[in-house]
Amino acid sequence: MTHRLTVEHVAWAVGGRSVLTDVSLEIRSGEIAAIMGQNGAGKSTLLDIVAGLRAPTGGSVLFDGREAADWNQRDRARLVTHLPQLVRSDLPFLAGELVLMGRYPHTDRWFESEEDRQEVERAMRRAGCWDLRDRIVQTLSGGERQRVLLAACLAQTAQILLLDEPSTHLDIDQQLQCFALLREESARGAACLVVTHDVNLALSYATRLIIIAGGRVAIDLPADEAGRSPDWLALFSPRLVLSTTSSGRPWVSYS
Amino acid sequence: MGFVFMTSTPHAKRWVATFIAVFCLAALLLPLAGPFSLDLARVRERLEPDWSIFVQLRVSRTLLGLFAGGALSLAGALFQAMLRDALATPYTLGISAGASLGAVVAIWLGWQQVAGVPAIWVASLGGAGVVVAVVVGAALQQRRVSSFSLLLSGLAANSVCSALIIVIYGLVNTTQTFSISRWLIGSLDSIDYPTLLVFIAVIVLASLTVLRQAKAWNLMAVDPSWAATRGADVARMTFTGYGAGSILTALTVALTGPIGFVGLVVPHLVRTRIGADHRVLMPCAFLGGGVLLATCDAIGRTVLAPSEVPAGAVMAIIGGPYLVWVLRQRSTS
Repeated sequence: MTHRLTVEHVAWAVGGRSVLTDVSLEIRSGEIAAIMGQNGAGKSTLLDIVAGLRAPTGGSVLFDGREAADWNQRDRARLVTHLPQLVRSDLPFLAGELVLMGRYPHTDRWFESEEDRQEVERAMRRAGCWDLRDRIVQTLSGGERQRVLLAACLAQTAQILLLDEPSTHLDIDQQLQCFALLREESARGAACLVVTHDVNLALSYATRLIIIAGGRVAIDLPADEAGRSPDWLALFSPRLVLSTTSSGRPWVSYS
Repeated sequence: MGFVFMTSTPHAKRWVATFIAVFCLAALLLPLAGPFSLDLARVRERLEPDWSIFVQLRVSRTLLGLFAGGALSLAGALFQAMLRDALATPYTLGISAGASLGAVVAIWLGWQQVAGVPAIWVASLGGAGVVVAVVVGAALQQRRVSSFSLLLSGLAANSVCSALIIVIYGLVNTTQTFSISRWLIGSLDSIDYPTLLVFIAVIVLASLTVLRQAKAWNLMAVDPSWAATRGADVARMTFTGYGAGSILTALTVALTGPIGFVGLVVPHLVRTRIGADHRVLMPCAFLGGGVLLATCDAIGRTVLAPSEVPAGAVMAIIGGPYLVWVLRQRSTS
């Protein structure tokens, strides 16, 4: 079954300042859409609106053609997951407990079942954080914590993944692993919406580049097309140049 | 396959069962402690005065301690989850101060009963309700509650309520001064059984409302947006949380006066020794808090007999140094 996420004419303003004026886009199963743009362009705001964490001042968000607000919360959590930029809690949860919380929308039982626990183990092994399961979350490094949060999202087995800078705090190898995981997820039929600043990761792993500027979608291109015509780079910095690596991949560097 | 967290199912059940056993044991044994040493044989024969002292004074007082301590401790765990801060209590948000102010007003104006219910209960609930409405209302921005504004306005509510209590204190007559100051220290007294049963019934109902959602409190304790995107109804959780938390706090404060540290000490101990999972933390905090308060009261009425040390004072003497130790642990971690 294919799933789709539709954003229709979404607007968001705070204190008279308009952040998003008119954003429309649609993502389907199998796609990895990289949301990019300068700081303050409203990328995270857009992701929060899609995740239902902020109410848009205009427009609407639809999952599989149905208004986000019409979804039952648990049904929606089985379909859509969200990786936050950070969680700030003073309470000493274990990494494994945090990942187990991803199973919340799937079970009515008081304690999770053995299948839930196996799903958690699979997710933590995939995200490379299984050995951290008995560590207290606050004692983890930024990168370790990021992998645990990613595992929690994987354990939710959702079909639409909203990820706010998933590769933050990760070293280069882990960044590649993180995006490879998104590839696996999209191959099994998930749709991914990923906020990222890394142009090269987006070019290598995303199927689409969506650039937010001036409160709207300035560019919406398939990634291979973006790898051929570099006009969009000017939206980030005049110093960016697009070249080709010896293996034929597009690569952005700065002059 | 599978793995074991600290809070795996058998582990959790074992801890909760242990706490239930200790709670029951406390209910059986603590009535025996007190300035007058009871002769168990005479109690069994229902001979006076042993029988009356046991049933009318000791048992009712112990039960009050067990459920009051449980309510305050559970309220502590609840507010810690809602504010995502291990140092939060109903005190932090001024709820306890609001309830105290309500009770002091009732004593001052000599109100006895409102619609058949003790006036001090109604006034406490009213005070707590007003404080919750003002504090949460002030911190509400764009449908989100900011914990920072919440703590700040809670602090303000605390100061205002304490100041008003001092003002009222200057206006009342000597008898009222005595009953207010004794009440403000926080103490347990023997109470009549009808009142006790109503109190226990309300506390059990409010506690079960909170406990039923323990799994969702785990999510809320991480972050409200985390909870929302895992499928929890954050608006409903917030509403029940503040509602049940205020009822637990206000009713207990009305009967015992504000007893501080139980809501801080017990959840923290359970969290560090057993785990942060609210499915274990919340029931254990309730049971452990009850045992601690009832034990403090038993110590208080025994050590300096025939004079009594109020349970609130015993708790403060134990809780104060512990709080400092918690802060130290925090700054070194």
